[in-house]
Parts: sequence; structure tokens; C-alpha cells
Amino acid sequence: MEKKSLWKRITGSREALLALILILLFIIVTGFNSSFLTPSSLQQLIKNNAVTMVMALGMLCVMLVGGIDISIMSTLALSGMAIGMLLKYDYISGTIVPFIIAIAIGTVCGFLVGLVVSRADVPPIIATMGFMYIYRAMGYLISNGGEWASASALGSFSDFATTKFLGLNCVIWIVIVCYVFFYWFMKWTRTGRKIYAVGSNPEAADVSGINVRNIKLLVFTIMGLLSGLGGALQVGIYASAMPNMQKGGEMDVIAACVIGGVSMSGGRGTVIGALLGSLILATIVKALPLVGIGSLAQNTFKGVLILVVVVVNIILQRISDRNALKGREM
Amino acid sequence: MKRKVISALLCVAMATTLLAGCGSSSSTTTDTEAEETEETEEAEEVEETEEAEETEEAEETEATGSYAGQKIALVGKSAGNAFFEIAAATFVSTVEAEGGTVDVVYPEEATADAQIKVLDNLISQDYDAICLSANDTNALQAKLEEAMDAGIAVSSFDSAPNAESRQVFVNQAGTTAVAQALVDAVYDITDGAGQWAILSATSQASNQNAWIEAMEEIIANDDTYADLELVEIAYGDDEAQKSTDQTEALLQNYPDLEVICAPTTVGIAAAAKYLQDNGSSCKLTGLGLPSEMEAYTGDGDDYSCPYFYLWDMEGLGSLSAYATMALVNGEITGALGETFTAGDLGEFTITEADDGGTEIVLGLPLEFTPENVSEYAELY
Amino acid sequence: MAGKSGRSINNVPENPVKKMIFSWEGILVLLLIAINIFCSIFSEFYNISSLLRQMPVYLAEVFLMLGMAFILVMGEIDISVGSIVCLSATLACLVSNAGVPFPAVFLIALLVGTCCGIANALILTNFQELPPMIVTLSTQIIFRGIAEIVLGSGGSVSVTNTDGFRAIAGKVGQVPYILFLVLILAVIFAVILGKSTFGRSVYAIGTNRLTAYYSGINVQRVRFIIYTVMGTLCGLCAMFLISNSYGANTTTGENFEMDAIAMAVFGGIMSTGGKGNIAGGMISAIIIVCLRVGLGQRNVNAQVILLIIGLLLICTVGLPNLIKNARQSLKKS
Repeated sequence: MEKKSLWKRITGSREALLALILILLFIIVTGFNSSFLTPSSLQQLIKNNAVTMVMALGMLCVMLVGGIDISIMSTLALSGMAIGMLLKYDYISGTIVPFIIAIAIGTVCGFLVGLVVSRADVPPIIATMGFMYIYRAMGYLISNGGEWASASALGSFSDFATTKFLGLNCVIWIVIVCYVFFYWFMKWTRTGRKIYAVGSNPEAADVSGINVRNIKLLVFTIMGLLSGLGGALQVGIYASAMPNMQKGGEMDVIAACVIGGVSMSGGRGTVIGALLGSLILATIVKALPLVGIGSLAQNTFKGVLILVVVVVNIILQRISDRNALKGREM
Repeated sequence: MKRKVISALLCVAMATTLLAGCGSSSSTTTDTEAEETEETEEAEEVEETEEAEETEEAEETEATGSYAGQKIALVGKSAGNAFFEIAAATFVSTVEAEGGTVDVVYPEEATADAQIKVLDNLISQDYDAICLSANDTNALQAKLEEAMDAGIAVSSFDSAPNAESRQVFVNQAGTTAVAQALVDAVYDITDGAGQWAILSATSQASNQNAWIEAMEEIIANDDTYADLELVEIAYGDDEAQKSTDQTEALLQNYPDLEVICAPTTVGIAAAAKYLQDNGSSCKLTGLGLPSEMEAYTGDGDDYSCPYFYLWDMEGLGSLSAYATMALVNGEITGALGETFTAGDLGEFTITEADDGGTEIVLGLPLEFTPENVSEYAELY
Repeated sequence: MAGKSGRSINNVPENPVKKMIFSWEGILVLLLIAINIFCSIFSEFYNISSLLRQMPVYLAEVFLMLGMAFILVMGEIDISVGSIVCLSATLACLVSNAGVPFPAVFLIALLVGTCCGIANALILTNFQELPPMIVTLSTQIIFRGIAEIVLGSGGSVSVTNTDGFRAIAGKVGQVPYILFLVLILAVIFAVILGKSTFGRSVYAIGTNRLTAYYSGINVQRVRFIIYTVMGTLCGLCAMFLISNSYGANTTTGENFEMDAIAMAVFGGIMSTGGKGNIAGGMISAIIIVCLRVGLGQRNVNAQVILLIIGLLLICTVGLPNLIKNARQSLKKS
């Protein structure tokens, strides 16, 4: 009896299903290549996907209110390029100051997107498509037409990405802190719950006294903030700032969220889901060359696997829904 | 109500900041416009004289040395490429020193489709020559033939379109010479035997494909390299994240891997960063920018890259400029065996390229060692 | 009922002439005239013949806009179109090089596009819960991935027999064939969307899918047809692209989806569904072509052109709403 309820609980929870898929992926990949499941390899997995993982949190918030943001990687490039150029020409130095500047630029960018979406009622995909062009172009313009800031130009800034703290890389600590904070923020704070409320039913939220517009403004600002952080991380991790970095990467972030069970129509999705979704996507990308798939076929397999994960998720969801209905009938 | 006003104000502020953002750039474009309009007048006059020259081909040989008034378009692969900027800068200064004008134009993306749109635009204008670095070998043929039919001289550098769609290609360092240098580097670092892998850009990148093909040929035809085992060609798509993933996968798939050869600037920097951070015993060589690679180049285990190659980027820009101007003047037509003088660089002869077209080879690849890398890093 | 004009400035007098001018299409026409005047002053090379000469490359993307209009009106999105173009262009080139006669190559390109469209449609109609964006995102990766595999390590192919492609790139006087084809298709699609039962059901689905379902519209059938036709249009686009480049490569058609969406949205077709028409989309497509050609002829930085298009998008969608909001709040106070 107890066993059954446990089974039901697993199949009933989206996160548990995702965790199952992730574990399955891990087992399969390790079967092909035992070096996959080593601490250093897993750390590298998170480090190399830190940008996507951090930004998935922002995308979660945006998608919870039924929005979408495809300007994020342009914001990342703008903020990353800005600190890259400032460091290159010795206006700033160190680690903390560039981080603050990148985050500030990102926040302003996100705030502007939020204003356009919430005050001018522009559909998020259109507004962010416009800003995608605008911020990317600004990124190019501040790079003096195409300068790169390289490892030696960045000075000591990128050292944080190679420093370890309590046995873990600092980048991984940043990811952990972000996830812990957002777990608390989305679950236990009033604002976090308001985001869910707006996403589930904007009219009801409005009637119950939530300022829907401000919440929309807030989520896009959060997204911008995290894009700025992503910009600093990108520049730090790869010790290089280029105006065209992460072009097209927004789709990875969106895919990570959707795999993690975040609904594109709003209202549904959790921080754990975003975490698992981005980990699954990261594992797929990392595993493809490891399991011996030729370099030319890797993209096709990536697409197929994303589709399979999403479809399997839907099928499992349907089964669990049907089971829940059955339970009600009895 | 108040909020509405505030939000409206904010929107206005936003619009103005954005406009200011593009305003600064548009002001620079208007500056160049002003120059252009002044110079187009001159250009028209000169063109007339040029046409006269063309009709009297016999006297033309005496008219060498006068490149003044030429209007040339330089087409890059995409905006935001530091590698290209260096060559472009010298290209511009060389042509301007000779009294011509250059417009550097970038497609909006690094695709052939976007370059076709740029070429269409250039054909509509009265350029004397187009010099381009092609995003795809074949796709530009239709447009470049149209340009040549319209009387525009077409030269290319860095990355060549196919033989039918250009008059001459300025090769930074002969394809086989680059391949030979890279193979020798791999041979040297592995001490003559061991596993090695290639980390390239995209599967479509024409330069990289040509070098890789030449490397494979060299290894297959020379017994010296019999003990070198090329285990895989990976593609990092010129993205830091994917290049890092691919580098790591190479190391995990082939624990005995001794050398990674990355003939692409983004790939080599990403791989160098990964190998150096992880203290891997696998070493790296390839083609990279000194400024990007400075932090990773050195002897011993602390550095991931003992030495790497590139070519004289400034010389490339300058030679391409002279070749293009000579084409416009009719000093050369791109035929095999022709010679011309490229300013301070000296005399160059047009030779046959691997693809059946003609090319001008700048020289041998430059080697960047721990001793000279910081010196070159200041330049590029 | 579903408004046919995408956006309009509120409270416009009923006078039909004024109504026409203040409709979104009216504003677009005025904008088109303004931009043409601006471009001809801005660029000394900007004239009808240079515009007609440069147009074909852009017009290939307008085919995609026609299909995208239906999808957007339905409140959905298809971001796989660029990859479908890539795959059908690749296969068309390979088939042509194998010695297949040109008409058959043309049909094969259309067929490949249609098959890709059907693949999208099958997944979307069988798993209705899946958001179109994520499905077409994965098929985007897959279709381009297949092209990458087919093209192999060179990543590029050129057609050896270009006669057929040269033929479809031909002109009547100065007017390229493709312009006629685009206009004819635009009229057909406009009539279907605006006047037919099928078109009304697309609006109905876009306005309220559930209501549409309960009022007897076979929602999944409509979706299936639209995504399939979108695929066919991609095949058509691919053929005309090849006629400009005599080849295909792994980057063919990259970001075409964004261009198509931008044209449609700028033309008043709301991505939220239920609003907009083909006429607006066509006018905006021509505006964008004129703008790009005009600015491009003075070598304005491509990134700056994109920046301007981005600003235009945001302003055209946002300003009417801002004005409406401001008026409403004025009335209240």
C-alpha cells in the first residue's frame, strides 16, 4: 500500500520524473564512457553551463507570467563587452567592480524591456525581438566595431573562474547561491507568490490587488539582472569578451526551462524544474561527443533528444493525469 | 494617473537614450558621408580618365603607380571579428595613402545569404573594386560574376570564393605552407608519435577545411608522420562554450591524446583556457591571435600552448590593398604569372591556387613563441 | 469580432476616408512613402531599377512571411522555417547535381519543404499541449542538423547545372519573375485569410481556441494544413534562394524566421493571435526591403540597420498602446 503511494507520488510529480530522466541519462552516458561520472567532469559540466543555468532562473520568472525573453543573450553580450572594454583600457580592475557594472547594465536593459512590455503592452516576444537587435548592435558599437578583450587584457578579473572555495569552483558557488536564493524567493516570499499568481490568472491577480504591471516589470528586470551576471560569468569563464558571444543561446535557455516543465503559457514551473531542465540539456550536449556520435551528427541528435524529452514528459504527464482522474472516480 | 505620466516619461527617456546610442554612430557615418560626397566628385573625374586609359591599352603600362581616386569596397565575414579588423585597418590606410577611398562593409551575419545582400548593394553603387573574405566558397558566385560583368574588379583575401567568382585571391600564407607548419608543430610536440586531434570552427568554414584537407594529405603521403594518429576532427562552431565542451570530450574519449591542433582563433583560445585551467598534459597548437593567446603561451607545464602560428595580418591587409588597386588599374588581370609591385612589400607573382584559380601568396606563416608573443600581442 | 486591421489609433471619427488613413495599413502606406522619399535623398543610387535589381534576395523571405502570417494570426509561432529552407535547398542542389531535370528539382524542393512542414504539424497536432515554439525549436536544430550530415565535411554544395535556376531568376523588362509570384501568392493568401471560411476559422482559433473548438471548427485540421503549407512555402523560398547563390550551405536560411516574424508583426499581425491581415504584412515587407536597400546603399553598418528595425518594431507596436492608455487615463481623470 505504502509502496503504491510512493510510486504515485513519483509519477505525480514532474520534478521526480525529470530527475528520473536525468539519472537515466547519467547511467547511459557512464555506460559508454566511465570518465563522465567523475567529480571533476561534473564540476566542468556545471561550470561550462553556468551561464545557461543562471539565466534559466530569470527565464523561469518571465515564463511564469506568460512572457518570453529572446533579448537575453544580446544583453549578456552588451554587459560582458562593456566590462571587457573597460578592463582592457584600464578604467576598472579587480573582480567585484566589473561584476557590479555588468549587473547594473543588465538590470537597466531588463528594466527597459520590462517598461515596454508592461507599460506599452507590447507582446513580450516582439518587444524582446526588437531589443535583441538593439542590444546586440550596441554591443558591437561599444566594441569599437570588433575589438576583443582577451585573457591578458582582462587582468585578474577572470581569476575567480579558476579559484576554488571549499573544494568547489567559485563559478559553481555562484550558481548554487543563485539557485538557493531563487528557491527561497519563489517559494517563501510574497513577491515570488505574486509572480505565480499573475501567471496563473492575470485578471484574478489584478482583482485581488496585485499590480500586474509592476510584477511584469519586475520579472523582466530580474531577467536583465541575471543576464548581466551571465555576461560577467561568460567573460570570466572563457576569459574573453567578444561582441557576438552566445548568439542564439537564448533558445538553449528557453529549451532548458521547457524541458524542466515550465509552461510557456505561464503559471506553472519551479526552480527545481529549471535546475533539472538545464542539467538535462547540459548533459545531452556534453554527452553527444562522449558516446561516440560523429561531430557532424551531433546537432541532429541534440534536436531529437530535446524533442524526445519534451514528448516523453507530456506522455508521462498524460498518464499521471489519467491516473489522478481514475482516483477521483473511485 | 501620476504613474502613467511617470511611465510615459520613462519611455521617452528610454527612447532618447537609445537614439543617443545610435546617434553617436550615425554622426560618424554622416562624417564619412560628407567625405564620400566630396570624393565621389573627384572619383568621377578620375574614372573618366581611367576609362580613357582602358581604351588605350598600349599606353596603360606607363600609367602604373597612380592609384589615386579609386573607390574600393572591403567586405568582411561578419562584424565583431578582431582578426579581420587588423587586416581591414591596414587595407584602409594603404589605399588612403595612395589617394583612394575604402568603405568597409559587414554583412549582418556570418552567412553567405547576408553577404549576397551586401554584394547586391555594392553593385548598385559605383565601386571600382570589391575585395572580400567569403563566408562560403560557392554561394557568392552568381553575385560576384554579376559584379565582374558590371566592370567591378573582384579580389578576395583571407577566405576565397571559388575560382570562377574572383579575379585573384590574396592568400595569407599558402594553404600547404600553413598545413605543413601545423603538422610539423604537432610532430615536434608529440616527439614524432602519438595521438592528436583537430578542433576546427564549423564544418562549413572554407579556410579551415582547406587546411585540414592539406594536413591530412601531408600525413598520408609522408612516412615521417606515420606514427602520428589523427583521432578526430571536432567542430567547436567558433563558440567558446561549444569549443570547451568539445575539448573536454576529446580528452575524455582519448586519455592519451597528446596534442590538439586548433586552426581557428576562437577555438584555440577556448581550448587553451580549458587545458591550462585543468593542468592537462595535452598540449595545444594551431592558429590564433597573439593577444588572445598571450596568457596561455609559454614553456613548461604551466602553459597549455608551447607555440602557435598566424600570419602577418597587417601585411595581408596591405598586400590585398595593392593587389586590388593593381586590378582596378589593369596592371594585373589575375592571370597566372603576372607580377606587380606592392609598395614596401616588394614584388609579387601570381601563382596557381589549389582550387584551380590564381592567388598571390603573402609569405610563410609566422611562428609565435613565448619569446615574441607579448611583442606581437600589442599589435594584434 | 476579430478585427482585421492589426492596430489602430483609438476613437477615430467614422468618416471612411479618415478611417482608411488612420487604419494601420494607411499609416504603413504613409510610412512607405516617407521612407522612399528619405532613401532617395539619402542614397544617390536609390531608384526603381536598383530597387528592382536588389529585391529578389529579400523577396524570397516574403514567401515565409505569408505563411508566418497565418501561424501568427493563429497565435502560434514557427521558428523552424529557416532550417527547412536550408534542408530543401541542400537536397534540391544535390538532386540537381545528380542530373534530375529542373522541373523535378523544383517539385522535390517543394516536397522536402512540405514533408518538413508535415513533420512539424504531426508533432504539434498529436501533442497539443506542447508549445509550438519548443517543438519548432527542436525541429529547427534537427532539420539543419540533417542538412549538415548530408553536406558532410565540406558543408557547402554548388549546383553544376544552373540553367533552370537562371531561368527562374529571370526578368520581364526590369521586373523579376519572383515579384509577380510574390504578389500573386499574396493576393491568394490574403483572400483565403480575409474572405474564406478557412480564414475566419484561423481568426477564431487565434482569438479563442476553446470557443473555436466548441463552435465546431476542426482546430487540429486547420493547424495541420497551415504548418504543412508553411513547409511548402519554405521549399519555394529555397528554390529562389538557390537562384541567387547557385548553391546551398549549412548556414542557408539562418535567422529567416526572425525576418519573417518581424515583417509580419510590423505589418500589424499580432503574435498574440486573432489580429492582422496579409495586406499589412506585404506593405511592411516592402517597407523593410526599401529601408534595407536604401540604408545599405550608403553602407550604413548592418548592425545599425538592425537596431533601427528593432526600434521600429517596438515603437510601432508600443506607441499606439501608449497613446490609447494615455487617452483612457485622461478620460478617467
